[in-house]
Amino acid sequence: MSSVDVRARMNAIGVLKEKFKIILDQIQRGEKPTLVMPKRVLSNTIYDEKNKMLLLGPDVLRRSLIDVNEARKFMQTLLMASIIYEALVNNEYPTIRDLYYRGKHSIGYRDVDGKLVHENTWDEQKESDSVIRDLEVFMNVLREEMLILSKEKGKVVGNLVIKSGDDTIDLSKMGHGAYSIEPTPDLVEFKDVDAEYVLVVEKDAVFQQLHRYGFWRKYRAILVTSAGQPDRATRRFVRRLNEELKLPVYVLTDSDPYGFYIYSVFKIGSITLSYESERLATPSARFIGVSMTDVFGDEVFREVLDEVKEVGGFTKTALGKLKKKKPYLSESERRNYVIKAKQRDIERAVELVGYDVADKCVESSELRSKLKKKEGLTGYPWFRTPNWVRELCIFFKTLNKLEIEAMASKGLKFLADTYIPSKIEGGDWID
Amino acid sequence: MSSEAVEKYKAISPAEFFYKYKEIAGFANPARALYQTVRELVENALDATDSHGILPDIKVVIQRADPVQEFYRVTVEDNGIGIPPDIVPNAFGRVLFSSKYVLRQTRGMYGLGVKMAVLYGQMTTGRPIEVITSKREYRRIYFFKIRIDINKNEPVVLERGSWRKQRDWHGTIVSLTIEGDWGKAKARIKEYINRTATVTPYANIVMYTPDNEVILYKRVIETMPRPPKEVKPHPYGVDLEMLKMIIESSKEPTILEVLVENFQSVGEVTAKDLLSKAGIDPSSNPRDLKEDDLLRLINTMKSYNQFKPPSSSAISPLGVEVIKAGLTRMFEPEFVDAVTRKPSTYEGHPFIVEAGIAYGGKVPLSEADKPILLRYANKIPLLYDEGSDVITSVVKEDIAWDNYMVAFPAQLVLLVHVCSTKVPFKGVGKESIADVPEVRREIKLAISEVARRLRGYLTAKQKELETQRKVVHLAKYIPEIARSLEVIFSGDGFDKDTLVKRLVGIISAKTGIPENKINEVIRGVEIGA
Ligand SMILES: Nc1ncnc2c1ncn2[C@@H]1O[C@H](COP(=O)(O)OP(=O)(O)O)[C@@H](O)[C@H]1O
Ligand SMILES: [Mg+2]
Repeated sequence: MSSVDVRARMNAIGVLKEKFKIILDQIQRGEKPTLVMPKRVLSNTIYDEKNKMLLLGPDVLRRSLIDVNEARKFMQTLLMASIIYEALVNNEYPTIRDLYYRGKHSIGYRDVDGKLVHENTWDEQKESDSVIRDLEVFMNVLREEMLILSKEKGKVVGNLVIKSGDDTIDLSKMGHGAYSIEPTPDLVEFKDVDAEYVLVVEKDAVFQQLHRYGFWRKYRAILVTSAGQPDRATRRFVRRLNEELKLPVYVLTDSDPYGFYIYSVFKIGSITLSYESERLATPSARFIGVSMTDVFGDEVFREVLDEVKEVGGFTKTALGKLKKKKPYLSESERRNYVIKAKQRDIERAVELVGYDVADKCVESSELRSKLKKKEGLTGYPWFRTPNWVRELCIFFKTLNKLEIEAMASKGLKFLADTYIPSKIEGGDWID
Repeated sequence: MSSEAVEKYKAISPAEFFYKYKEIAGFANPARALYQTVRELVENALDATDSHGILPDIKVVIQRADPVQEFYRVTVEDNGIGIPPDIVPNAFGRVLFSSKYVLRQTRGMYGLGVKMAVLYGQMTTGRPIEVITSKREYRRIYFFKIRIDINKNEPVVLERGSWRKQRDWHGTIVSLTIEGDWGKAKARIKEYINRTATVTPYANIVMYTPDNEVILYKRVIETMPRPPKEVKPHPYGVDLEMLKMIIESSKEPTILEVLVENFQSVGEVTAKDLLSKAGIDPSSNPRDLKEDDLLRLINTMKSYNQFKPPSSSAISPLGVEVIKAGLTRMFEPEFVDAVTRKPSTYEGHPFIVEAGIAYGGKVPLSEADKPILLRYANKIPLLYDEGSDVITSVVKEDIAWDNYMVAFPAQLVLLVHVCSTKVPFKGVGKESIADVPEVRREIKLAISEVARRLRGYLTAKQKELETQRKVVHLAKYIPEIARSLEVIFSGDGFDKDTLVKRLVGIISAKTGIPENKINEVIRGVEIGA
């Protein structure tokens, strides 16, 4: 077992014992045993402007055995802690599904009327997963740091040599394949690197095309894909590349609200799991594209500006000062490649940037009234920037989206040799 | 009623009258007659005991008395006060002869009960009544066979005798042979005995049936209702017939003295005031007064507003203890309570309402709209005409049961007892109580009060159950929690038993639930694989 592994185990065991010693001491002192942890709810999620990431707020949850509503969860938390503890000391790498099975058993007891009742420690995996998340916030240790595995999804190639376990792996020698980012990215050691930046692409297919094209070798990039919604390991890995190797990170996604959101998960964190952000988010990640202005230019947006005083809380003048943008696609290419946005895409866009922007930019009054039900949405602060307001306004106005594959079908060469390099060189990204 | 009709009414002998109209007294057919006979004899037996401070021992024997015909011999024995031998013939052989005309709450009141049974027996089997009786202070026991001369309303003593007492016995044994229908009457008679026993937990009651069944209700308490005291009638409650009877039986020479001596709340000053208001000379001979005078006197008495209210010492409520013991003996309920209201009056008659409630245990399930109702008037169970009884309408209309956490059907028995020197019965049947506002009000108050207490119990029970649930809910997790902590801390001087003990202590301290209860739950926990 590698020393990193051993160190990680020792650390997790230490924290676990330390945190549960508090409970033990409470019991020994005759106090009611109470787990105190940050509240893991949306209302206790705050956007840290300074560090540009989502964090848990100051609200805490007190989970006491004496509280009838919390007793079961209290038991589950201790049960889960004991299973994780056992796995750690036994040098195991359980998955969350393993933990679910290991902890699932019945508790038989006599009801008030003397009936024998059997209750499961937990019923569905949803329940035990939630307990794992509680433990992560209670101990302030991520599951990866407790050596709990999840499915591998992310992939990486590039001029990077790593050590994983006892093996040294050269990520530039993966053939047509790629290195799967392991579920315990903290156990990876970076040995040697020769790269200028990290390019994260949302789509696996595009990753493979760029890989075969030799993109990373040509442009000295480390190429990563999250294959859709990024998992924790991929985010942690990208974060380490950025933090430890000081490589700038560029994210390439579809040109639609869902792609924009994926970018924000890398950069800021996920809204529902904000407690992980501190260690998973890469606040300096840049959105390279595909942006709406890459597809449509900024003509459309200026048309809107002619008719209003402000959009998304920014004055016409402020928005007018945004860098001019020419589209990467010709009129006819555009006609060929763009797809019509679905209602789901439109609603997601409202969530990202806020109802007021939609109200200003959507042309059809029928659609505007349809969106009325979203009136309360004010958008996420990190999307309320002039650049993103422009992007989403264009989306609302055109109600079109574009998948990166379309860029690739214009010619892989175009994507690899023109689009990406020129965007990076020209500083044409959103920060 | 015109005076002419009264004349005619008086023309036939009362014995003859009741002989002809036996339905009115409950002797319509052999089944009813058997039931009614048992009732009359048992009620006389109880009157002869508990009204005189004697703990009743009552034995009822019903036997087939003829191999062919449906003749039954009903024998009721009591350990009561007995009857003086010179009274026996009249008591059992003269209709309307009673020792109970005085104002005092008793079960019997009309002075005809047992004689109806005698007449019925005479009519159907031709056999006389047999009476064996002795009072405590007598050295001898007396024996009689009597029949009634219907035309003359006179007893005919067929046989009499006496013998020396061998042991210290007192009481009365009455035997009657009548035509009956045990098959049809059985259920009712058993119910009657059961319901009687419910309010006489201080009595030993045993019944031997023709089916060779022995039904026994053993005494469970020694406390008896306080015996009723004899009181003089209150002027408000007196009618013309009663006034005539009082005058007839009085020995005072003047009407003034009659009033002072025979009525409560009437002193010399009041009596003079009344007489002058009625225009009657205080010194006149009461037996010379005309019916007109008497009517005026009655009206004056009724409108006079300075009397003290009627005394309630003549009525004998069962009392809370007796009701609770009775309901407990019958139903072994989970909860029982009772209330005796303070005395009240209607139309010059004092009355008291009592209510008892029994919940759960062996109480059967009620109907869908009301509790099981046990109605009593002067300690007599009312078995018929429940629908027309004021108690029923109070229970259905005046009580919002859901306010008392009761939803029907429920395992709920409600006992209501109305006692008075004159219970306002509906009709001669004596089976239901009339809707008299004052009485209705008291019934409602009594029921509300016991219902409130039931609610108190149910609320407490619910809370208790919630606490118990809470214990289970917390304690069932202790073994798992202890096991988990043991995994993490074993080897660090961790002791699981001490930890469990501590946890139990903490839960007990924070919830107020005793440690042994928590331990009990923990012992029942099995952690599965
Ligand atoms: N078992 C008994 N013990 C003592 N006295 C009795 C008994 N049975 C009847 N009597 C007397 O006979 C009287 C007449 O009885 P009954 O005809 O039933 O009329 P009531 O019970 O209405 O007075 C009673 O008032 C009572 O004095
Ligand atoms: Mg009688």
